[in-house]
Amino acid sequence: MDAQLLISGVIFGLSIGSIFFLMAIGLSLCFGLMRIISLDQMLYYSIGAYVTYSLSLVTGSVWLGILGGLVASGIAAFAVERLVFRRIYERELTFSMITSFGILICGIGVIKFFWGVVPRPVPMPIEVQIGILGTDVPAYRFIVVGVAILVYLGLWLFLNRTIAGKAIRAGIEDVEHVEGLGINVSRLFTITFIIAGSLSGLAGGLHAPLIMVDPMMGLEVLAFVFMVVIIGGLGSIKGTLISAFIVGQVVSVGSLIYAPLAQMAPFAVMLLILLIKPTGLYGSALLKR
Amino acid sequence: MMKAFQWWWGLLLAFSLLALSRVFLPLPFVIEVVIFSIYTMGCSFLLGRVGFISFGQPAYLAVGAYATASYLFYFGTNPYIGILLGVLAGLTISFIVGPLFVRLRSDYFAMVNLALAVIVFYLTQKVLAGITHGDNGLWFLTTIASTPVLDLSRPSDFFIFAFMVALAVWAFYKYLDDSVYGACCLATKINEDKFKFLGYSNFNIRLLAFVIANTTTALAGAMYAVYLGFVSPEISSPSRAADPVIVTILGGAGTLYGPIFGAFAYTGMKDVISKLIGNWELLIGFFLVLIMLAGEKGIWGTLQPWLEKRLFRKAPALKTTDTSTDGRGARR
Repeated sequence: MDAQLLISGVIFGLSIGSIFFLMAIGLSLCFGLMRIISLDQMLYYSIGAYVTYSLSLVTGSVWLGILGGLVASGIAAFAVERLVFRRIYERELTFSMITSFGILICGIGVIKFFWGVVPRPVPMPIEVQIGILGTDVPAYRFIVVGVAILVYLGLWLFLNRTIAGKAIRAGIEDVEHVEGLGINVSRLFTITFIIAGSLSGLAGGLHAPLIMVDPMMGLEVLAFVFMVVIIGGLGSIKGTLISAFIVGQVVSVGSLIYAPLAQMAPFAVMLLILLIKPTGLYGSALLKR
Repeated sequence: MMKAFQWWWGLLLAFSLLALSRVFLPLPFVIEVVIFSIYTMGCSFLLGRVGFISFGQPAYLAVGAYATASYLFYFGTNPYIGILLGVLAGLTISFIVGPLFVRLRSDYFAMVNLALAVIVFYLTQKVLAGITHGDNGLWFLTTIASTPVLDLSRPSDFFIFAFMVALAVWAFYKYLDDSVYGACCLATKINEDKFKFLGYSNFNIRLLAFVIANTTTALAGAMYAVYLGFVSPEISSPSRAADPVIVTILGGAGTLYGPIFGAFAYTGMKDVISKLIGNWELLIGFFLVLIMLAGEKGIWGTLQPWLEKRLFRKAPALKTTDTSTDGRGARR
């Protein structure tokens, strides 16, 4: 294979993996702490992308748009958590999955109502190309990877160095004991949900210049994000990071070898890993269904 | 004699109502309801009896539909053989993926199934576009041969056929529910550890349930293909992945009449709403959230105790679903 093609393919895989990571982290955190499968993360992703589109059209700055998308999706996540999820935390897992799918479908309807069904383009924020080993790669893709790594480090610091973060980590192990220590678990849930939602929004905003923004975009990435979460193991952040980059590379390099592989290969990888380890790479077997 | 009658009265009542509705409702609507209720029965069985939620039903629907469609498009003309092939394809695919899937925890199961539906969608839309003609779909309405007794190319005859198939499927699930196997399914749902101590294998029970449910779904897909005379990737579109789950919840999960009631209500709702406004996803999503917040019993689940009290003058049957036994019921 052409070396230049391979290099750009690997960089492309890294950037797409970063986006998957930012989205999967929300699903993973929500499952770990609240024991819900929050399909509506895909909705915050779409909201982030659409707000980025609108704000960049109005102000001319895509960066401002991405920031706006992050804030808007955080607010949407807050509203949904307060109105809907608050009432179903203690129900079964399947319950949250169906409810969040309802929110996702409903949100897609709202997006169609406001923005229409026509796909919208978002301009690249920087046009600079960086040369690596004689291959020109858009600098924006490096920025996407950088943002994902920054988010991972920030999240690591938050979870290991702050009281709220430590409470979240303890809550993933045992919520009842955390509550017994006098920590407001319900506020903890809200904080986690907002973090998850705004990270999904950030992913949408960062992804918007690389693709066309359309109402169904959330459903298109849904399968990939699922695979990332499953391969990494539900509730594990380190596993999510690793599996996001695996899936990113499989999608990108796979499509260089044979185009339809982009959709099929991650599924094969997922089945293989589940065959060996039914709880994913870093999933804990202790978490009962 | 009386006992047998009680066993069957519901079946007779529900289906005579359905047959009656054909007189004053448009035929396409009634056919849609009948096929949809077959489609939902598999999902309802999985969710209500085995405790597996499946967002991947469209995958099996598409497998059945495409097996039937490719037979009718490329090889033969007999719709009965087409439907038979669709069912066989569903049986094969669920035997292949079943052993992989049913080992998983129910949360992973739901996700893997949805991923499979998306994969089948891409497979039919892009990867196998040479065979499936991509988004254009396969058109074969004119190649369906007219068969002697029940001519499936005529909608009125197709209705009778679909009706009889639905009756058979329903009777089969009714039989399953009352058998030892049905009790085993419920037992693995409620407490798999205890069930294992009794000497049963959770895996075998679940695998069989998975295969039965998804073969039913493939049957519905095959019937869709013959009825519509064309198949496109739209049939396994991820945005429709929740349809059977919505109908199941709407009708009441695990109840026998649930799928019929749910399919009736959902198809009717969709018809009415899509006539009023184009944006029906918004309302469907909204209703779904509302139903989930209101409770989990659905239409039939709410009606059943009331009806039983009225008709038999007896106490309602014991609740069979127990939400607090999935290992995390004690949380919070």
